Amino acid sequence: MSQTGSNSSSGSKLIELRGITKKFGNVVALDHVDFEIRANEVVGLLGDNGAGKSTLVKVMSGVLAPDEGVILKAGLPTRISSYADAEKLGIETIYQDIALVNSLSVYRNMFLGREQTTLFGFLRRPAMKAKTMEILRSSVQISGILSPDKLVGSLSGGQRQAVAIARAVYFRKKMLLLDEPTSALSVRETENVLNYMLQLKRDAVSCVFVTHNLYHAYRVCDRFVILSRGRRVRDVAKEATSIEELTTAIVKE
Amino acid sequence: MKIKLPMLPEPAIANRPQVIGSKRFSSWLNLDVLRRHPAGNILIIVSLLEIACVVGSMAFPDQFRYLSPLNIQSILRAVPQLGIIAVGVGILMIAGEYDLSVGATFTLSALTMANTFEAGIPLALAVAAGLMTGLIIGAINGIVTLRARIPSFIATLGMMMLLRGLILFSSGTQTRPFHPGPAFESLMTGSIGLVQVSFIWLLLVTFAAYILMDHHRLGNHIYAVGGNRDAATAIGVNVPRVKLSAFVIAGGAAALSGIISTVRVSSVSPIQGQGLELQAIAACVIGGVSLYGGKGSMIGVFLGAVLLYTVQDILLLLRAPGFYLDSFIGAIILVAATLNRVIQKES
Repeated sequence: MSQTGSNSSSGSKLIELRGITKKFGNVVALDHVDFEIRANEVVGLLGDNGAGKSTLVKVMSGVLAPDEGVILKAGLPTRISSYADAEKLGIETIYQDIALVNSLSVYRNMFLGREQTTLFGFLRRPAMKAKTMEILRSSVQISGILSPDKLVGSLSGGQRQAVAIARAVYFRKKMLLLDEPTSALSVRETENVLNYMLQLKRDAVSCVFVTHNLYHAYRVCDRFVILSRGRRVRDVAKEATSIEELTTAIVKE
Repeated sequence: MKIKLPMLPEPAIANRPQVIGSKRFSSWLNLDVLRRHPAGNILIIVSLLEIACVVGSMAFPDQFRYLSPLNIQSILRAVPQLGIIAVGVGILMIAGEYDLSVGATFTLSALTMANTFEAGIPLALAVAAGLMTGLIIGAINGIVTLRARIPSFIATLGMMMLLRGLILFSSGTQTRPFHPGPAFESLMTGSIGLVQVSFIWLLLVTFAAYILMDHHRLGNHIYAVGGNRDAATAIGVNVPRVKLSAFVIAGGAAALSGIISTVRVSSVSPIQGQGLELQAIAACVIGGVSLYGGKGSMIGVFLGAVLLYTVQDILLLLRAPGFYLDSFIGAIILVAATLNRVIQKES
């Protein structure tokens, strides 16, 4: 079985991580991990608890700086040392504990940090509200959010996920890192998020799908990367593997 | 059997966002909508209280002189001192921080103004020096809190003690006179009929704060850092800068209030501002500002200050002994904080 997987089809590399190492004291969270995101794909980032999945996501979203290793964009070395860097590269992360402010309304969350304003910083509220509803209606069918003034804290888990995803889509991200996006969702909402990932791929947005659930991953992912105790143990295209084999890889390695 | 309630079809609203405005307008009188507004509850309570006072005053014009010109004047004159500070403190509380030094800032700013003016500096510069004092203290509070990563409660407690010492030192424990002349006096504390200019200042400050918090990017960020600091950071909001702005605003508001109050009484007393810091927090809590940050409205804070003074005024008019005053206000604070908690749980 191929351990590199670099022979599988799909497009150019949007971003490439080489030899990423991250230690927390004596604990090696990531041990010389290679990882890449290509154009038009959904990558499943799999592994048991403590395998280093979330740490890898944090490295790519600028939350954690790696101790060793390089990050390449279009073959050239780059740095992701802050949220702003990640944003510049077109990476948006949707966290397990979604980065939304419960006490703010939907439209204020959508545009938080990227408000549409007049010259002196005054909010263009009607424009932002209209845009919010347009995005939620057109691209994220899971929502069912009826008013842009609704407080995010009063939404269901799926709706909150929808707001976070809509935000990423609207601001034209090329890569979406979804860290356990379905862990808090109902079955139907999960279904919607999965379908939405496929739709994103058609819209030329690549996703990294971090999950425990192999069945979810197998439905939508084109490629699987398995981490185990901080090391990459598999990088395999969907055609070249099966759920059974992936399970074995996660459990045994 | 379910009873069908006549309701607007929600999907229709969703498809046509422009309808939302008119829907809200038509249900303005709906009590539920009012109660859901952050300042709705306090607005209802203050309105009921004012109506009761007016009715009581008309029924017993001799025993309860609420509507006498003198009383109206004294309320309108008393509210701004606390109200202006409370607006600044409210913004800071929404950002998730506290400032216990506003009472001392209030006094030191006024003292700086009086001292510089007495030293022969032009009035405009003296006033600017007073305002700058407040802004700088606010900035120091912010920097200490954020740099040292200590709770603002402690940082500003230290600042309060420090400033109190500074006040005694620079005032020589004496009340300092301040007579800036009639033009400035009427600009700050004159009156138009019964309406006090200082009350107009409070309305202006409240309105400006409302515009900042509801219609400006900075306000949006203040709500965000107070509501969920981690999320705000993750989304790229510069949390320290936003919090620092809120500290500076609180300091500036305290200074403005100090200046207006000093003009009103034509002097600065070293103990003038003591206790205002806690009263300001009380007004905010009564007005619906969350103790945990992220929630609150400027109109609510304004009404909180009005309510505090109205209650004080009622007790005075009823000739209640002084100790009732503090107990009553204490009870109101407890009730308000509890109610806020319950309401937040419901929603």
